[in-house]
Order: sequence, then structure tokens, then C-alpha cells
Amino acid sequence: MKNSFNIVAVFSGIDTLLRGIEVLRESGMNNFIVYSPIPHHDIENVLHRKKSPVRIFTLVGAITGFISGWVLTIGSVMNYPLIVGGKPLISVPPFGVIAYILTILFGVLATMIGFLINARFPRLNLDKNYDERFSSDHFGIQIFCDNSEVNKYKEMMTEVGAIEVRNT
Amino acid sequence: MSFKLTYTQTDLDLTQTLNKPNRWYYVCLILLAFGVAWGAFSWYHQIFSGIGVAGKNNPVGWYLYITTFVFWVGIAHSGTLISAILFLFRVKWRASVYRSAEAVTVFGLATAGLFPLLHMGRVWVFYWTMPYPQMGGLFPNFRSPLIWDVFAISTYLTVSSIFFITGMVPDVAIVRDKVRGWRKKLYSLLAQGWQGTDIQWKHYTSAYVFLAALATPLVISVHSIVSWDFAMSIIPGWHSTIFAPYFVAGAIHSGLAMVILILIPMRNAFRLHAYITAHHLESLAKFLLFTASIVGFAYTIEVFIAWYSGNPWERAIFLYRAFGDYWWTFWALFVCNLFIPQLFWFKKFRRNISFLIIVSIAVTIGMWFERFVIITTSLAHDFDPYSWGLPSLTLTEIGIVIGSFSWFFFLFMIFAKTLPVVSMWEVKEQLEPPKVG
Repeated sequence: MKNSFNIVAVFSGIDTLLRGIEVLRESGMNNFIVYSPIPHHDIENVLHRKKSPVRIFTLVGAITGFISGWVLTIGSVMNYPLIVGGKPLISVPPFGVIAYILTILFGVLATMIGFLINARFPRLNLDKNYDERFSSDHFGIQIFCDNSEVNKYKEMMTEVGAIEVRNT
Repeated sequence: MSFKLTYTQTDLDLTQTLNKPNRWYYVCLILLAFGVAWGAFSWYHQIFSGIGVAGKNNPVGWYLYITTFVFWVGIAHSGTLISAILFLFRVKWRASVYRSAEAVTVFGLATAGLFPLLHMGRVWVFYWTMPYPQMGGLFPNFRSPLIWDVFAISTYLTVSSIFFITGMVPDVAIVRDKVRGWRKKLYSLLAQGWQGTDIQWKHYTSAYVFLAALATPLVISVHSIVSWDFAMSIIPGWHSTIFAPYFVAGAIHSGLAMVILILIPMRNAFRLHAYITAHHLESLAKFLLFTASIVGFAYTIEVFIAWYSGNPWERAIFLYRAFGDYWWTFWALFVCNLFIPQLFWFKKFRRNISFLIIVSIAVTIGMWFERFVIITTSLAHDFDPYSWGLPSLTLTEIGIVIGSFSWFFFLFMIFAKTLPVVSMWEVKEQLEPPKVG
């Protein structure tokens, strides 16, 4: 994603931000990220990003937890076969409780791992182009482009209504 | 619900909760610290003198500690319920109240988790409850509901904490961008580099949906499992198939009452009337009325089945509960949990802040008595008159119970002044985004 130049355009409204994203996509530029204080369906719709793969992590984690629950309970009684209270060694209903809980636990932990990996999170330092207004009431687009395209994209962002455009 | 607010105003209003507290805050904090110290000293006394200093005895081996444990697990149910289930159903009024409710969950569990330790005669071997082969390759007995409980409570604490922290990250980033100096460094660390990029939001919202979807069945299962600590035994008054839904409804009932009790003073102290409106409190009151009705139905069915089953021991225990040594606690739970909340059928009571507080206190007390009645009376009066007996109330136990309440509110007070008590980014989601054109 990292090209030689970064352009940061700051928008004070979501309507101008959406126009900015649209013109970038129309020009064939897809190498940019959007900053927003909230997740918004309109932004998602114009970005056409792929679905998050976090759900795969959740599924794999939950299945692993389910299997682990049965392996832990059945494995422990088979390892040391001891009849307790006249119950069968492999007691399905009580062992199912453990499997159920571990399904959820592993599913949640895997979801978190999936989120951390995919969002490249946590990170110690903020991007040098990050603007503190982006967490409050402003929106932003950061464009990664070559030296020759800097002026073109800066003009493009100014035309759609960016209140501030800078490059680094 | 639609707020007549802006993004900027929301940030200003909801970050002012983190400003320097006034002297009353410190007074409350010191009083609570004394309560915690009393509880800690009582525990110290119990460890060094022996478990006999607690009033529990044979036959009532589960007394105030397990009563209070179940009470706090119940309190912990409202948060994830309000947060996860209402999130999945896209209920808009959730945004203003869920953060505090989740804090109630996490701190409720942090309090409840102490009680199995407090209850142990030899707390230094608490790790024997963990699932590993302790002696000669022997694992704990996975058929025991007590081991299910260890799994359920520790999983619930883990999941609730993850859900709580994850929901807060974008808000902590807002605070990070507003403060300066050492606080900026602290909140930068807590925000973990959150920038609100579309990529972060995409994975974040996806993860949040799955966390909510996984937390919801967990809420239902945790108190079901707590109820099976009792229902899996054959003690009269415990051995009942209704226990799981009955406990879950009761847990939500007490949790909602605690959330109302915490929201109202917080709303006044931080002047959050634009965010926690009368509509929010009324919605919670309606929810409380709903859970009161389920709990009332469960009480009635229990009594009916005791008579209808023809089981003499079941009948005996319910007659004992109603007219025996602890008769007043039995009637108190009907009055507090069922009858008083029925006034919420009328709008004027739902909209009356003082009345909301009174009902919430009544339900909180009533739900503690519910657990007391279930646990103590069944053990005190089981099958054989030879083994009947009563526990004695001791200062050590009272100290620990008061210490637990102090501990819970102490944690909440610290939270209220260090982290945003209302979700800023989700309140903003309810607003019209800023537009130029």
C-alpha cells in the first residue's frame, strides 16, 4: 500500500467525503484509506471493500473449542478410568456443558485474534498523517500515490470540497 | 430516539465526565475503601482463625457466601444482556446505557469471583478447581456442576471483559485526542493505536457482531449452570427443572435494578440528561416489569408444583419457607421482586425518578433474599429431622458481604472517572452525520 507520497484530505462533512471517494474510484485510484469517527453504511457502500475475514477466525475458533471440550472431558476419564456415582465413564450431557462453554470461549478468543491480525492492531504509534479531528467530527482520505500524481489528486480533493489537503 | 446533538457536543459532554472530581467523589471513595478494608480484614481473620468463624455450619454449609456469590453473578447478567442482545436486535436506546451496564457485569463478576475463594476452607489450594491432573493423573470430575461453574464463570468474565474493552477502544481514542500530558500517554496506550480507518472499522464491526452473537448464548448458559449447582442435587426445593430459566430471569431482574440504581446518580452527577433520558429509564423500567412477571410466574409455579407433585418433602420445604424460621424473607421476595414492580404498569411511576430508585433498591434486596431463601432454607430443613439445623450470623460474614458491596461500587467509581461512561461513537451513530451541502 505504501507508495512514495501520501496525500491527506480532511472533510468536514460526510457528503463531501463520499463524493471524494467516488471521484477517486472513478479515476481508477483504489490505493487509499478513509478515516471516520463512526462506521457508516454509506462509506462501506461506496468503498466496495471485501468482507472481513474475522468470521472465518470465529468459526475455526468455535469448532476448535467444541472439539477441545470433548477431548478434555473424554480424554481425562479415559486416561484415568474411575467410575463416579455409578455414572458411565463417557457422560454425554455433563461433558456437553464443558464443550458448549469452550465453543464460546475459543470462538471469542479467535474472533479477537482475527480482529487484531486483520486490523493490524494494536500499534504503539499513530500514522504521522493521522489528524486528531478524525476521531471527533471530521472525515479524511489518505491517498498513496506517485510523485507525478500528487497535484492531480490534490486538485481532485479540493474540487469535491476537502477543507484541507496536504501531502507528505 | 433521536438526539438533538452534534458530534462535537457529544464529545464535549461525554469527555467532561473525566474531569477532576469534586470532594464528594473522594468522600465516597474513602468510605468505600473502608468497606473494602473491613471485608479484607474479615477474610484475613477467617483464613488465620479457620472457616469456623463464618456462621455456616453443618447442615447449612452454603450460607451467606454462596448466597452473595449467586447474587453478584446475577447482577453481572444485565450488562451483557443489555449490550449483546439489544445490539443484535439493533435497539437504539442501548447506546446510552450499555457501557455502564457492561461495567456492572465486569465488576459484578470480579466481585462474584471472590466468593468461591472466600468460601474455601483452604484458599491457598484454590487451583485444585482448575482442569488439570492434580494428583496421580486424576482430573477434576467433569460431571460435577461445580466444575461447570468454574468454566462458566471464568469464561463469562473473559468474554465480558473482552466485549467491554473492545467496545471502548474507539472512545478511548477520542479521549486520547482531546487530552494532553501524561493523560495523553495513558490513553494512547489504552487506545492501542486506534485511528478509525475504514479497514479498522470493517474488522471491528465484524468482530463486534460475532462477540455479541457468542456472548448472548453465554449469558443464558452461565446462570443456568449456576442454577444447576443446586438443581443437580436431590435436596428438596433445589431439585427442579424450572431452575435454569428461573435463575436466568431472576439474574436479569436483579441486574436491571442495579443498572437503574447506578445510571440515575451517574446521570445527575455528570449532567447526562441529554444522553440518559427519561425514555431510557422508562425502557429499563418496562424491562424490569417484564422480568418481574417472569420471576413471579416462576415463584407461583414452584409453589404449585410443590403441592401438585404430591412429594411430601417438596411440600414440607415450601411450608417451611413460608411459615418456618425464615418466613419473612420468603414473603419479602414476593413483595420486593413481584408486587412492587407491578406499579410500573403505570406511566407516572415509570417516569418518576424517586420511585425508580425505590423499586430498584427493593428488587436488589428482594433478589438477595431470593437466593438466601433458596440456599439456606433447603439446607436447614432437608429430608431427615435429625439433620435439621440453623446457621448463625457472624460479624466475619457480615464484614465480607459488606466488603463485597464496597468493592463493587469502589471499582465502579474508579471506572466512572477514568473511562467514558457512555459510548460516544455509538451515540454519534444515532445522530445525523455532519454535512456540508
